[in-house]
Amino acid sequence: MDSMFANLALGFSVALTLKNIALCFAGCFVGTLIGVLPGVGPIATIAMLLPITFGLDPTGALIMLAGIYYGAQYGGSTTAILVNLPGEATSVVTTLDGHQMAKQGRAGVALGIAAIGSFFAGCVATLLIAALGLPLTRLAQLFGPAEYFSLMVMGLVFAVVLARGSILKAICMILLGLMLAQVGTDLETGQERMTLGLISLSDGIDFAVLAMGIFGFAEIIRNLENPETRDVVRNTIGRLLPGKEDFRQAYKPILRGTFIGSILGILPGNGAVLGPFAAYTVEKRLAKDPSRFGRGAIEGVAGPESANNAGAQTAFIPLLTLGIPPNAVMALMVGAMTIHGIIPGPQVMTRNPELFWGMVASMWVGNLMLVIINLPLVGIWVKLLKVPYRMMFPAILIFCCIGIYSINNSTSDVLFTAFFGLLGYVVLKLGFEPAPMLLGFVLGKLMEEKLRQSLILSRGSFMTFLDRPVSAVLLVIAIAMLVLALLPSIRKSRDEVFTE
Amino acid sequence: MSDNHNTVGRTGLGIRAPQDFAAGLFLVVVALFAIWQASDLPLGSLRAMGPGMLPRAVAVMVGLGGVGLMIFSFFEDGAALERFHWRGPFFILGGIILFALTIRTAGLIVAGPLAMFFGSIGSDEFRWKESIVFSVGLTAVCIVLFKFALGLPIPIIAFM
Repeated sequence: MDSMFANLALGFSVALTLKNIALCFAGCFVGTLIGVLPGVGPIATIAMLLPITFGLDPTGALIMLAGIYYGAQYGGSTTAILVNLPGEATSVVTTLDGHQMAKQGRAGVALGIAAIGSFFAGCVATLLIAALGLPLTRLAQLFGPAEYFSLMVMGLVFAVVLARGSILKAICMILLGLMLAQVGTDLETGQERMTLGLISLSDGIDFAVLAMGIFGFAEIIRNLENPETRDVVRNTIGRLLPGKEDFRQAYKPILRGTFIGSILGILPGNGAVLGPFAAYTVEKRLAKDPSRFGRGAIEGVAGPESANNAGAQTAFIPLLTLGIPPNAVMALMVGAMTIHGIIPGPQVMTRNPELFWGMVASMWVGNLMLVIINLPLVGIWVKLLKVPYRMMFPAILIFCCIGIYSINNSTSDVLFTAFFGLLGYVVLKLGFEPAPMLLGFVLGKLMEEKLRQSLILSRGSFMTFLDRPVSAVLLVIAIAMLVLALLPSIRKSRDEVFTE
Repeated sequence: MSDNHNTVGRTGLGIRAPQDFAAGLFLVVVALFAIWQASDLPLGSLRAMGPGMLPRAVAVMVGLGGVGLMIFSFFEDGAALERFHWRGPFFILGGIILFALTIRTAGLIVAGPLAMFFGSIGSDEFRWKESIVFSVGLTAVCIVLFKFALGLPIPIIAFM
């Protein structure tokens, strides 16, 4: 316990230097600015803004990136409340009651409670990361390749179970992601694999390129096809600070949402997505009058928003302690860290304690920053949201192009992004959900490495995954989840959760 | 995902979920391509895997998933195939490709407006004058922001 606070103190001494506060502020600001744009989720935002952190020292760059991440998350919620357009899956639930509140002239209160709930959730999640960081890192050091492999299998199974729509289609997307991950030079033999003879593919496909194609460009194409039904709030925003009555209604949902979101966020395989849905369902079940939900109930904003932010933050735990990115956003963080010469995993904490704890502390600073930035700037976001999409998408297009080009100063990267934009469009048209593909891609290389290592150790026997108890437990959980998800009754309620 | 306004009706082949059938077919084609690409890589053994083992194994699994989707599409009702439009993809992706082709040879001062203007045509609400003014103006903003404020090494004028 003592060491946890000592570590946090070290972190704050790093995060609270003038320079790092400024970077955190800048990150939150541009993150929100881009994240507010409809149809631009956190993944595209981070991929687009990645190059602006290149000139910084690693600690500063990561602090700024974390700021961009929270900004993008919060920007998505702002869009959800003001325009009824969710920027990404996690803010879908916020549109339900948030936009209704906005229509009733209570947009300010909705944004305010979202910010306050997120801030509280952020504080708790920061403490949780600080508390779990050390023990989980120790645990990670006990993990052999077999355990790592099984853990990642479990993560992918979670992602399948949590994906919307057909389970078989989600599995196919994961496999497609794994396949794309194998393009490039083989880790052990140095042989080129499936590169089509292209030199630029010999290092493999860059994650930012894939993510930008699928979440940036394919999204623009799809938005152009579906004529816009943007419903920007015309009412006044109203006062921002929630009143006493609002707080009385919202504080319990905030506590529950934080709890649910934190737990789910730690799970590998993008558990964070489930947080807001779960929090909303819980609030609706517990409410004295469930019919208020969907008509502007403040609990329906407070709970999911807290869960959303808590999950967004605890998702850092598997990345920082085990080196396994639990979702696509964290995979981009891996990319960013690697560019700065840091390989995420248990060794970060021991080798770069300033960086590790500085980043953890800056998460808290970032959350505070969001409250400070967003409440006064709501007016600007509303104006920005009134810009028609025909002017917005060329801007997104050029930012994406410049962003991708700048990552490696490579024109072939830009061309590949166009290709993946096409792939993303086709895949969307065929009714696939692209998120699992990205996760499969993210984990692909590491999974292959661990699988090959464990089979070398076991002399080619797959029994090693069942002989080792931790690995066996992880696999049993994975299989149980999959079987449960396939049971007809659960399948039905799973569909309900996602259509709600 | 259920777009009802542009649906292609049930086919005469007894396919009850045309979208899933097409999705399966797509995966099978991708898998076959990958298997062909990986065919000359040594497999190795389970004890010491060669570079070709996993690519082929994963590609086979992708293919099996595709076959599964195709088979199920005969037994369960599902979504119809959505219509593919060409205007959006053509101009958006074309704009990106133009950017890639001109950024080194001409610089951002040409690539920026070109990519944005070409991309704008992808929208049904395209307006000539507005697009020209907007793409030139925004390029100027980008130059100030990315080149001078952030110092990214982007070529601004490369043809001189």
